[in-house]
Amino acid sequence: MNFADPSAEDLYERAPCGYLSTSPDGTIVRVNATFLRWTGYNRENLVNERRFQDLLSPGGRIYYETHFSPLLRMQGSVREIAVDIITADRQRLPVLVNSVLVTDEAGAPQLVRTTVLDVRERRAYERELRLARDRERAARRALERQHEQASAISHTLQQSLLADEPPRDPRFAIAALYHPAVAQLEVGGDWHDAFELPNGRIAVTVGDVVGRGLMAATAMGQLRSAVRALAVTGAGPREVVRFLDTYVEQVVPARFATFVYAEIDPDSGATTLAVAGHLPPVIVTVGGDTRLFMEGRSTPLGIEIEALPRVEATLVLAPGDQLVLYTDGLVERRGESIDVGLERLLTAAGQDATPASLAVALDEGAGGDDDVCVLVFSRSRSR
Amino acid sequence: MLFAHGFGCDQNMWRFVAPAFEADHRVVLFDHVGAGNSDLSAYDPERYGTLGGYADDVVEICAELDLTDAVFVGHSVSAMIGVLAAARAPEAFGTLVLVGPSPRYLDDDGYVGGFEQEDIAELLDSMDSNFLGWSSTMAPAIMGNPDRPDLGEELTASFCRTDPDIAASFARVTFLSDNRADLATVRVPTLVLQCSDDVIAPSVVGDYVHAQIPSSVLVRMAATGHCPNLSAPQETIDAIRAFL
Repeated sequence: MNFADPSAEDLYERAPCGYLSTSPDGTIVRVNATFLRWTGYNRENLVNERRFQDLLSPGGRIYYETHFSPLLRMQGSVREIAVDIITADRQRLPVLVNSVLVTDEAGAPQLVRTTVLDVRERRAYERELRLARDRERAARRALERQHEQASAISHTLQQSLLADEPPRDPRFAIAALYHPAVAQLEVGGDWHDAFELPNGRIAVTVGDVVGRGLMAATAMGQLRSAVRALAVTGAGPREVVRFLDTYVEQVVPARFATFVYAEIDPDSGATTLAVAGHLPPVIVTVGGDTRLFMEGRSTPLGIEIEALPRVEATLVLAPGDQLVLYTDGLVERRGESIDVGLERLLTAAGQDATPASLAVALDEGAGGDDDVCVLVFSRSRSR
Repeated sequence: MLFAHGFGCDQNMWRFVAPAFEADHRVVLFDHVGAGNSDLSAYDPERYGTLGGYADDVVEICAELDLTDAVFVGHSVSAMIGVLAAARAPEAFGTLVLVGPSPRYLDDDGYVGGFEQEDIAELLDSMDSNFLGWSSTMAPAIMGNPDRPDLGEELTASFCRTDPDIAASFARVTFLSDNRADLATVRVPTLVLQCSDDVIAPSVVGDYVHAQIPSSVLVRMAATGHCPNLSAPQETIDAIRAFL
């Protein structure tokens, strides 16, 4: 053999790929030695005897008829089609197939030329990749399911925690609402509460636990219960906050929560309140004047600074006055100073201070990317 | 005259056949949801979990276009989709042409469908390994066609390609369905076109379909393989014309 100048015949027969020519219906009319060596067939068993697709596995044959053959006919060529050839000794040989369709001048198919590459190693590796992909998909789905379940649980938990009806009394009205953020899958840690104390005073509170999800919702529930338990002792707002500082040392997810706690005498309107790192309450007078109440302020729960001791402040709500408590979702907008939001709240509260109308008035164009919690205590105008 | 493509590709399967009927028929072509240029967002795994969902689509097309007495030409799995659709809206269908029909691809207790369950599993595997290269790169694993300039880029982009999950689901629905009992519902004149050496719908299956539909005529074609609409368009056209 002349290695420097091999004959075309030798190039064909001993090419490093299987090479077949078939008639348009797949009947093999010519095949090279490489293909025969790989598959173990004799030339006389194939040429004019078998169709190329007959050598494929059953699934590969369907794929050939439904994809390979139509593509070849319509586009004149196909590339990199992965199939298995069943060899003479019934083994599977994974191959990649490229084919071109030879047509006459009128475009009628005359011949198909096909090369076949042995891709055993590559296919084994691809199989591993596919298995890894499938495992990853399954794991992701399982995680998503878990996540959905946790999300459903925290929503249910949160709703049941906030479901209590506020006290009803001709001397006052209490209205509250909680709007979960549309853009968030997880529940937030906002809460509101209103209840009557043994001494006849009315306790109202709005707070916000750091974070989202089941952990935040649970912490919110614990704090809310703790406030009630402490409040009924008659400790008063400052002491309630002080006790909660100790409490959040044990309930870590509740640490750094902010909240407002107020006790109101429904007969006189005398109010004592403490604000632990929370946004200032809004006072709305019967004439529609509004102001932020900036007294009684100290740090969020669990942060004790000597220079900022726990304090409380007093005020008197005149008949017809309102006290508005809320969380930051009502006033905060991304890319905007909080002062602008507070101004907006003051203006809206002067018009109509009900939780629903405030939520609507302040949600304009906000897109609901944070939870909104509002509680309005309204002292009746007359008895 | 409504042409329905089978599993694998899209309405372009009819491009050598359908034009021959445009002179004397209103010719309607469509892509099944999930195939060709159909709106993939319309794919609903539940609706298309059985061939009935695809048949409902055909019925909707007939209603939308106000088709009555139509000639329905269904290739491969769409032959059975046509049978189901004709039972649901008999007024719309005047004639059925079933090209390479099979009511049941799996062998079953005396019935020869041609395939075993494991063959179908292997088909799905084969599709998956071919999609491995297709879906991730979107680079054409199938070349553009310098020899057939009439095939635009749009065709090469969509022909025989679709979302892998949808394709796998359609393969399962197609090859695991059993519509043998539905053949008896056919009342209209029906042409069964049977190819030679069709591995997907072997001759015994064509015989079975013919035997189960009393109003049917069986024509054995010289064309080989499963796609006479591509491999032998003229023979296909002639057979349909002769029947009509």
